[in-house]
Amino acid sequence: MKYRILLLLLLVTSCSKHPSLPTSFTEVNETPHIFPDYVDVMVPPNIAPLNFLVDDVEDVVAEIKSQASRVTFGGKKNKMQIDEKEWHELLAEAKGKSLSVRVYTKKDGKWLAYKPFSIDVAEEDIDPYVSFRVLPPTFVGYDELSIRQRNLTSFEETTIYNNRQISHGLEGQCINCHSYQNYGTSNMMFHTRMQNPGTMIVSDGELIFVNLKTDGMISAAAYNSWHPHLPIIAFSTDHTMQSFHTRDITKVEVMESASDLVIYDVKKNRVQVVLNDSTEWELFPSWSPDGKYLYYCSAHYEYHQGYEDTDELLKNYKQLQYNLYRLSFDADSMAFGEPELIYDARSKNRSAVQPRVSQDGRYVLFAEGPNGLFHIWHTSAEIEILDLQTGELLDTKAMNSSLPESYPSFSSNDRWIMFESRRDDGNYTRTYFAYFDKQGKVHKPFMMPAEDPEYFRLLLRSWSRPELMKEPVRITPRQFYEKILTEPLKVSN
Amino acid sequence: MGTSVRKVLKNKRLLWLLAYVIFFVALAWYFLYMKNADTMYFLQDRGWWNSTSLFFKDCISVPGGLLAWAGSFLTQIFYYPALGCLLLILLWLLTFGLAKYSFKVPSEWSFLLFIPLAALLCSIIQLGYWVYLLKDVDYVFYHSLGLFAALLLSLPFWRYLPVKVEIQGGGALAWIPLVAALFYYPLGIYAMLAAVLSAIQTSICLSKRKSNTFSAFFLPVFLLVLTLGLVPLLETSGTTQMRPDQPWTYGFHKFELDTLRDYSLEIPFYVAILAPVFFPFIRLIKVKKLWQSQGIMFLVALAMLLCLSKRDFKDYNFHAELRMQRAVEECRWNDVLREAALAKGPVTREMIMFRDIALINRGELCTKRYIYNNESILPETVSDSIHIRIADQAADLIYYNYGETIFGIRRAMERCMHYGYSYYTMRMLAQCALVNGEKDNVKKYLRILSRTTFQKKWAMEMKRFVDDENLFRTDNRFRMPFKLYNEGSELVGVDDKYVELTILNKWMYSLTNDPEAQEVALGCAMIMRNSKCFWSQVQQYYNINQGKSFPTHVQEAMLYEVYALNFQGVNLSFVKFDERVLERYKSFISKVKQYQSQGMDDKQIGSLLRSEFCDTYMWDYYVLREIQTN
Repeated sequence: MKYRILLLLLLVTSCSKHPSLPTSFTEVNETPHIFPDYVDVMVPPNIAPLNFLVDDVEDVVAEIKSQASRVTFGGKKNKMQIDEKEWHELLAEAKGKSLSVRVYTKKDGKWLAYKPFSIDVAEEDIDPYVSFRVLPPTFVGYDELSIRQRNLTSFEETTIYNNRQISHGLEGQCINCHSYQNYGTSNMMFHTRMQNPGTMIVSDGELIFVNLKTDGMISAAAYNSWHPHLPIIAFSTDHTMQSFHTRDITKVEVMESASDLVIYDVKKNRVQVVLNDSTEWELFPSWSPDGKYLYYCSAHYEYHQGYEDTDELLKNYKQLQYNLYRLSFDADSMAFGEPELIYDARSKNRSAVQPRVSQDGRYVLFAEGPNGLFHIWHTSAEIEILDLQTGELLDTKAMNSSLPESYPSFSSNDRWIMFESRRDDGNYTRTYFAYFDKQGKVHKPFMMPAEDPEYFRLLLRSWSRPELMKEPVRITPRQFYEKILTEPLKVSN
Repeated sequence: MGTSVRKVLKNKRLLWLLAYVIFFVALAWYFLYMKNADTMYFLQDRGWWNSTSLFFKDCISVPGGLLAWAGSFLTQIFYYPALGCLLLILLWLLTFGLAKYSFKVPSEWSFLLFIPLAALLCSIIQLGYWVYLLKDVDYVFYHSLGLFAALLLSLPFWRYLPVKVEIQGGGALAWIPLVAALFYYPLGIYAMLAAVLSAIQTSICLSKRKSNTFSAFFLPVFLLVLTLGLVPLLETSGTTQMRPDQPWTYGFHKFELDTLRDYSLEIPFYVAILAPVFFPFIRLIKVKKLWQSQGIMFLVALAMLLCLSKRDFKDYNFHAELRMQRAVEECRWNDVLREAALAKGPVTREMIMFRDIALINRGELCTKRYIYNNESILPETVSDSIHIRIADQAADLIYYNYGETIFGIRRAMERCMHYGYSYYTMRMLAQCALVNGEKDNVKKYLRILSRTTFQKKWAMEMKRFVDDENLFRTDNRFRMPFKLYNEGSELVGVDDKYVELTILNKWMYSLTNDPEAQEVALGCAMIMRNSKCFWSQVQQYYNINQGKSFPTHVQEAMLYEVYALNFQGVNLSFVKFDERVLERYKSFISKVKQYQSQGMDDKQIGSLLRSEFCDTYMWDYYVLREIQTN
C-alpha cells in the first residue's frame, strides 16, 4: 500500500506544473543558451508565455520571479512550458519592471544552475492579433498556402482562408497581400491568383470580390495599403519575374519589369492612376497614419534593348535599387502632389522597400537590401528606421542579424516593431518583435512565442508577411470561399 | 502429426483453402518483393514519418488522419523491402481471417475474400512513373489498414452483449451512425465503409430473427443513408483543409495531374472498397459439388494472376532508374555503371545523366562516356499515362551532383510543396545546404531527420560534417559536388524544367583551372556538340594539363571536328594522338565512305558500324544526329 502512495506522490510531483527546484546543483556563471532566445528581451505585458527549450539536456526547471511573487515551471524533458494564467499574472505584476528567470538544467543526472537573466516587461501592450501567410519556402508552387491569424496573448490560431478550400490537384490558388485598414478587420483585403483570381475586399463588414485590372493598368493590383480612414486602397500594379542564382545563397532574385501606382475607391468601385512613369518603377505604397501622404519606393530604370526585355534585366538586376518617396494627398480633390525623395538608398548602393510610417508620423520603417525588392532572400537585408525630423537613420543593430530581415511594421501604439526574419536557419521565415522606446531606441527582438517551444524548429513552413491587428477577422473561411466562387466585379477608370 | 492437422488434411474444403492462401501469399511475394523490391524501397524513401507531435497533429487534422499516420509509420519499414513485404502480406492475411470470421464465409468460397486484397496489391505494383507524383506518403499501407479497420469495426459484436435480443438489435442499429461519427476523422472513408458493412450485417441478422421488413431492412438503410450523407458533412463543417465536395471521398486516391486523370489506376480502390459489401452474401451461394466451387475459385485465381501480371509496371528503364538513383545517392559508382552497361535498348535521359555523374566521380567522363549507350527515348514513348520529365524525378539529385545546389534546393522545395516532404527530399535539402555552407539550415533538417526511424543514423553521420569542416572537405562523397559548386560560374537564370540542358549549357561555357572540373566542362561541350565551346575547352585542357595527353573521346572528337566536320582554324600538329584512336578514326571514315558509295543511308551505315564503333564519339555523332537532351 505504502508503495502505491509513494508511486502516486511521485506521479503527482513529476506531473506538477510547479516542480521543486533542485537542492543540489553546480553554479554556472553564464546565462543559459535557450531557444528561442528570450534572454534580456523586452516584452509586451499582454504577450503569451515565452516557452523555451534547452538543447542536449534531460530536464529543465526555471524559477521566474517578479517583485511580488516567485513561481517555478517545468515541462516535458528539455522544454520549459509556462502556465498561461500564471504567466499573465506574473506579467501584470512586472508591468513596467522586470522578471528574473533562473534556469536549472539536468544533464547526465547532475543539475546546473545558470546565471539569472531578465525579461523586461514594457508598459505598452502589443496589438493582440497577427495574421500571416503560411507556406513552405518555395519559389513557384503554392499548392499548400493559407492565411492564418494568431492571438498573441495566447496560442490560439485560426485560419482566415486556406487555398485547399478551392484548389484542385496541382493547380493551386495563390493567395497574398492581406492587409487591414488601421489595424481593424472591418475593412480588409487579400488577393487570389490563378484559380478564381480577383481581390477579396471586406468593406464595413461586407464582402466584395473584384477584378482590379483595367485596360490602362500593367497588371491586376498587387502590393497595397488602406487609407487610414477613407475607403481607398493604394496599389502598385506590376509585372514580376524571378530568376535563380547558381552559387549565391541568396538563391533567387525577384524583379519587377515595370510597375505603377493606382488607388482604388472601394465605395465607387473606381481605379485612379497615381504614377505611371515607365522609367520609374513604383512599388509598396503605404499611407501615413494621418492619411496626408502616400509613401512608396521607386527604382529608376531605362531600357536599352527594348521595353521589358527580360534578358537585359537579368544582366542588370543589381542596378534595380529602390529609393523611398512620398506624395502629398488632398482627400477633398483626391489629388496627389509631386514625388518627394525622402531616402536615397541608391546613393549608398542599397535598395529600400516596404516603407511603414509611425503613428506620430516621425519615423519611417523599411527593409533595406543590396538590390531589388524581395529582401527576405537577401542575406544582407536589414530593417532600418528613418527619423523624418533629422533625416538620419536610427541605430537598428540590436534588431538585425547576419541573415535576412524584411517586412517591418509598427504596432498601433508605435512601441512595437514587428518584422520577419530568417535568422534561425537561413531559410524559414519567422516573426519577430522588438520594443521601440519613446527615445527612438530599438531593443533586442524576440521570436513569436509558441506553445511547444520546438514548434518553429520543426515547422517546415514559413510564416511570412505578418500584419498586426487589434481584433480577429470575423468573416469565416467558408464565407470567403463562397464569395470567391462568384464572378468578380469589374472596375471602372 | 497432431489431431488438428489431420482434421485439416481430411477436410478437402480446408485443404483447397490452404492451397489458395498459399497461392495468394506466393503471388503477393512475387509481385511485391521479387518484381518490385526497388519500387517498394523507393516508395518508403519518398514517404515521411517522424515521431514529433507536430507531424501527428498535421496528420489527424484531416479525415483518415490516423490511417495516414499509421500508414506512413508502416510504409517506412520498406526501408528493408523484404520486411515491409512480409508485414503487408501479414496484414492482408489478418484481413482475410477477419473477413472470413466476421461474415462466416464457407471455406470453399473463402478465396473470394482475397479479391479486394489482390486489388490493393495491384494498386501498388501498377504505379509506374506515378511513384514520383504521389502526394500520399502513406500510400502503401493506408488502404490496407483502412480495409482492416473497417472490417474490424463492422464485427457484429452486439450479438454477444449480455442483454435482451431487442436491445441487441437497437445497439446494432445505433452502431451504424455511431461507428461513422466516432471514426470518421481517424479512418476517413473507411469509417463510412464500416457503417455500410455494419448496416448489412444488422439487416441480415435482424432478418434472421424474423423482425419485420421495416426494422430489418428499411431502418438500417434509412440510418445508413442518413449517416453517409450527414456524418462527413457535419464533421468537416468548420475545416478549411478541403473543398466542400471532398468530405465524402477524402482519402480516396485520385490519379490526377493538372488536366490529366487516369481513372484506370483508381479501379483497384473501387474494387477494394466495394467488394467487401458483397462479403456477407457469399455464404448464400450454394453449389452441389465441391469441384464446382473450386472450379470457380480456380478461374478467380487465374483471373487474379492475369490481372496482376497485366497491371504490373514492367518497364525496364523505370526499374533501372530507381536502382541507379539509389546508387547515385549512396555514391556506389560501380553499381551505377553496371546498371548503365546492362541497359539494352534506348535508355532514358535520367539514366544517361546518372551514368555521367558516376563517370565524373571516377574521372572517366571523357574516356569512357561513349562506351555506354547514349541512345535515348523521349518521355512520350514511355508506356504510361504520364510523360514524366527529369525535373519531376530526380532534378535535385542531379543538380546536387553537378554542384548546382541552389537549383537542387529549388527543385527539392518545389517537390515538397507538390508532393509533401520525404526522407529523400530532406536528405537532398540537407546535403545541398551543407555544400552551400548554410549550416544552420542543415542542422534544422538533421534535427528533424533524427526524429525518424531509419534516417536517424544518416542524420547523425551528417552532423559530423557540419561540426567538422575538414572532415566535410576531405570526404569523398562531397568531393565532386563541392568542387563543382566552387568551380562553377555564378549566373542568374531559370531552368524551365530543362534540367540536363541547363547543366550542359552552363558547364560548356565554364572556364576553370581545376583539372577535374574542367574535364566536366569539356565533356559537356562534347555532349552539346558546340564546336566553339569544345575548342575553347580543349585549349583550356591543354593549358592546365601541360604534357598530359588528351582523353580518348576528346582525341576522337578533335579528329572528327577537323576532318569530318571541317572545323577551320585549328592546328592539330601539337596533339599527340594515340595510335589506336587514329587507326579507328581512319577505319571509321573509310567505312562510312565505302558504304556511302554503295548508296546506303546514314541509318543503315550506323547500324552496320555499330558493333565495331559504337564505343566512339564519331559513331555517336554520326548516328545519333539529334542532341537528345531533356
